[in-house]
Amino acid sequence: MPSFDPKKITDIHRHLHSHLPPEPALRVKAIESLLVEKGLVDPEAVDAWIEAYTEEIGPKRGAQVVARAWLDADFKALLLSDAAAAVTELGVQGQATGHLQAVENTDGVHNLVVCTLCSCYPFGILGMAPAWYKAAEYRARAVRDPRGVLAEFDVALGDDVAVKVWDSTAELRYMVLPQRPAGTDGWDQEALARLVTRNAMIGTDRDLSKGIA
Amino acid sequence: MDGVHDLGGKEGFGRIDRAHEDDPYHGEHDARAYGLSVSLRAERPNPIDWFRHVRELIDPVDYLTRPYFDSWLQTSVAMAIDNGVLELAEVTGHKAPGPAPADVKALTREDVREMVFFPPNFERKTDVKAAFAVGGSVRTAAQGHSGHTRLPAYARNAVGVIHAHHGAHPLPDAEARGEDIAQHLYTVAFRAADLFPEVTNDDVIYLDLWESYLAAA
Repeated sequence: MPSFDPKKITDIHRHLHSHLPPEPALRVKAIESLLVEKGLVDPEAVDAWIEAYTEEIGPKRGAQVVARAWLDADFKALLLSDAAAAVTELGVQGQATGHLQAVENTDGVHNLVVCTLCSCYPFGILGMAPAWYKAAEYRARAVRDPRGVLAEFDVALGDDVAVKVWDSTAELRYMVLPQRPAGTDGWDQEALARLVTRNAMIGTDRDLSKGIA
Repeated sequence: MDGVHDLGGKEGFGRIDRAHEDDPYHGEHDARAYGLSVSLRAERPNPIDWFRHVRELIDPVDYLTRPYFDSWLQTSVAMAIDNGVLELAEVTGHKAPGPAPADVKALTREDVREMVFFPPNFERKTDVKAAFAVGGSVRTAAQGHSGHTRLPAYARNAVGVIHAHHGAHPLPDAEARGEDIAQHLYTVAFRAADLFPEVTNDDVIYLDLWESYLAAA
């Protein structure tokens, strides 16, 4: 059983810092050799995790959810009221989508998602989080200076657009439902999904019309 | 705890580096660190908030400077040493690796597939009535505590409005102490201008907060 003793953990971290190779690649290699030799980890399981997020699970799943919501008012209503059920209906449920919440951008509202305390992220529909999402700069600034952060992502908001920032502090996870760009009447779900960027579903992208050209 | 992990609103951080933003991993060792971390974590009862707390307890300089999945792997290794499936001396090279405890069975590829595609449900039943209703005003606790908590420092002693109620979820502060307490969970909306002195617009910050972090306001 875990000790639940922070002092013990601090000591363990200190030993690990002192005794493992300082270079990350060597450190990982040393730990992998040990865990496999002891039989604590099956290399096939390690490969399975890595492959899942390289080959199968990525933002294309979230993009299908968005495109479907743009086309189907009933699905959009379900997505906004019970996003976990909506993604399950599309068969794209996965890690961290069990309490998914979708928040909708409108002409007057822009949503932005962050996890300031760790790096919570809806892996199952967006895949691995981009490095910047997990970095201290984004975690520190997204709540305090969201408009400055958005400007760095080339999202310029007028004073008439309110920013809503969602700090994922529980097991709820957030995805942004971006606005459907004009000029896409009659497009099918696949074509619409290709316009949807991963960053738009985090909130660091807004105008998806740039993908139309 | 008042650790460096509690980054929300901290100042002095520069521009956001978008390099390699579409790569799921940042090189082979980052991918291995991820896969190893999540393969090892399932060996013993390892509640998610204990994982978070063990990660928060990494040396502050390491926490802020090491690669992301490197910190996950160090967390998982520290948890394995703490719960006895691994010995510190085996990791530091002072002792040859012995066999794993008899009751420990490594995750298989099939176990992983299950975990990847079927999310757990954290909602809990409770007979306790919710103290707050949507639209009600609440004030957050003025102070944190030395253990794990999910009330960020920037949102302490602040008045907000209940935006949504999500039933009861395990209280992270208790889970990271090895206790199981189901408590009502709310999304609370705060005016950014009430949290940060330089903000003059009407932007809103939403946080998911447990009932014991809140009092009626």
